[in-house]
Amino acid sequence: MKSHAVAAHHATWHRQRQKAHAGIVDRLTNHYLALPAGVVLALVWANTAPEPYFRMAQSLSFAVNEIGMTFFIGLTMQEIVEATMPHGALHSWRRWTLALIAAAGGVAGSAGVYLAYVHGHYESMLVPGWPIACAVDIAAAYYMLKAILPRSGALPFVLLLAIATNLFGMVVAALQHPSVITAGGGAAFMALALSSAAAMRAMRVRAFWPYITLCGTLAWFALYLDGLYPAFALVPIVPFLPHEPRSLDMLDDPPDDDAVHHFEHEWNAFVQIVLFFFGLVNGGVLLRGYDTGTWALLLAALVGRPLGILAAVGLAVAAGWHLPKRLGWRQLVVAALAASSGFTFALFFAATILSTGPVLAQLTIGALGTAAGSLLAMGGAKVFRVGRFSR
Amino acid sequence: MRRALVALTLLLIASRMAPAQNAGTALPIRADSVKFAVIGDNGTGERGEYDVGQQMISARRRFPFDMVLMLGDNMYGRQAPEDFITKFERPYSALLSQGVLFYATLGNHDNQNNRNYKAFNMGGERYFTFVRKNVRFFVLDTNQLDPQQRAWLDDALQRSSDDWRICYFHHPIYSDGGRHGSDVALRVTLEPLLVKHGVNVVFSGHDHVYERIKPQKGITYFVAGSGGELRKGDVHPSAMTAAYFDQDQSFMLVEISGDELFFQAISRTGATVDSGTIHRQPSPAGATQ
Repeated sequence: MKSHAVAAHHATWHRQRQKAHAGIVDRLTNHYLALPAGVVLALVWANTAPEPYFRMAQSLSFAVNEIGMTFFIGLTMQEIVEATMPHGALHSWRRWTLALIAAAGGVAGSAGVYLAYVHGHYESMLVPGWPIACAVDIAAAYYMLKAILPRSGALPFVLLLAIATNLFGMVVAALQHPSVITAGGGAAFMALALSSAAAMRAMRVRAFWPYITLCGTLAWFALYLDGLYPAFALVPIVPFLPHEPRSLDMLDDPPDDDAVHHFEHEWNAFVQIVLFFFGLVNGGVLLRGYDTGTWALLLAALVGRPLGILAAVGLAVAAGWHLPKRLGWRQLVVAALAASSGFTFALFFAATILSTGPVLAQLTIGALGTAAGSLLAMGGAKVFRVGRFSR
Repeated sequence: MRRALVALTLLLIASRMAPAQNAGTALPIRADSVKFAVIGDNGTGERGEYDVGQQMISARRRFPFDMVLMLGDNMYGRQAPEDFITKFERPYSALLSQGVLFYATLGNHDNQNNRNYKAFNMGGERYFTFVRKNVRFFVLDTNQLDPQQRAWLDDALQRSSDDWRICYFHHPIYSDGGRHGSDVALRVTLEPLLVKHGVNVVFSGHDHVYERIKPQKGITYFVAGSGGELRKGDVHPSAMTAAYFDQDQSFMLVEISGDELFFQAISRTGATVDSGTIHRQPSPAGATQ
């Protein structure tokens, strides 16, 4: 009798434990926390046992950065396509216009401050890092604004701004990616990839994996052979995938209620694993490696970008544009601050553009430090008494 | 008892710091040897750089070196045409007028365009190699060790059949400097190539001190980053420290003759702060000879 009770207790305890574990995993994957978790582990490891850490990072670098990140970029593109397609939450050129102007202002502000700081310190070696200063962490901005300005027009505005900024950054990063492979012949592979994707689409293939494994692999080799950044392989394939319009919860894992959502759910889970390893491989840096580039990046992202966004919107409003509905100037200041974190995308651009060395180290520290932008947004909301802090 | 303790303390300090002695006889000065000087982090245009320049001119009267390796940060601050005069041409004017060639590498404070400055002899390249008799020098840009540069180094070392292979670059992969220290990420990337191809000696700067590291995997590393800048008292000696000097600016003289490399580190005031000989080790299996 007693043994039954003990067994039942163990079973309950086991179930609770499993549930707790599942909760942690869900929380990590649903809220883009896998990458910060990888970064924290990497920072601790790099600063306590640097040589084993950097050896691990070097050995996994290609698999994670050049192959694994293909899925992250692909999923980001899929989310952007679905959010901006007809009936998607961000489908409206009216919405885009002011956000694009704000994005341009943000890029000009962050790049301008970064380059001015670097040139002011006569460290031209840091100039190639300017796109890193422009990166906007979509997830950080999304969750912060959802938490502090849930019912304002800030969320779609900042999402559009972030998408436009990062698309621009991705193009620049792809062009600056250093590679030793220039075998050529990529065009033939790309033609094969695109024609295969078009054929699958014509045959109404609903599953994602044939597109990703076959067409994605061909596109990956196409870019790799031509010395381009192969992690962008899924970008030309994504338009052929089945899509469903996205609501404003674009970064949340979609409900597993149809074929498209089912594959996106699987894809998202895999991407979170990739992001954990991306954080682990690229986030580890010796903290004493901070230098001019660190301060340049922090100043550019946390000060230059919000000022650039506000100045651009101010000029646009003066020229006759109107602020979006439910977005006043005070909310706009908080939204601009929420867009100041570059974290994930800054780390991604740094890993894409720069090679091993002190320039990468100091800019990585700066990229991680821009996470403070979320705190600035919260502080801004409190000071301006908006959203959750309005009472 | 107190005197004994004081004497013991002084002895301990002296054993950890390189002994300072009058410059002069540390190098054999053989007729057929390769002779050069080494400076790093020199381009301040300030008194320290000019004093070191004077010591180099004075040293050359005894030790007729015909080239100088520059370990990066060849120019601090503004890098306008007049700065090339005040921060480079003037401090070393006597050496330049006597035909001494300077071979620079780029540091984090250098403008990338300085590789086109004729007197730095970089041929417009970020990384390059040159040879003197039986010694080949490999000059790297460690600001960013990109895949192309790694591939180039692997290939250049593979092709080298010279007796001595010497690498120099700005950021040290072994250093006890307190501000920067060892760049471990660079070490993990670079060291396997240096070991594989039997590089003998590596010179770096960045930490504004002088330090000699005990051989690591068969390679002797020097940090000579106080040719103009100085971070006084910045060395935190460790088990890998062979000798160091962090109390004043310094530069190095090196002579390679046969299988021996003789070195001497000299302070701004002309004192010898370290000296010794490195015997060329047989190349490891797989290294080209």
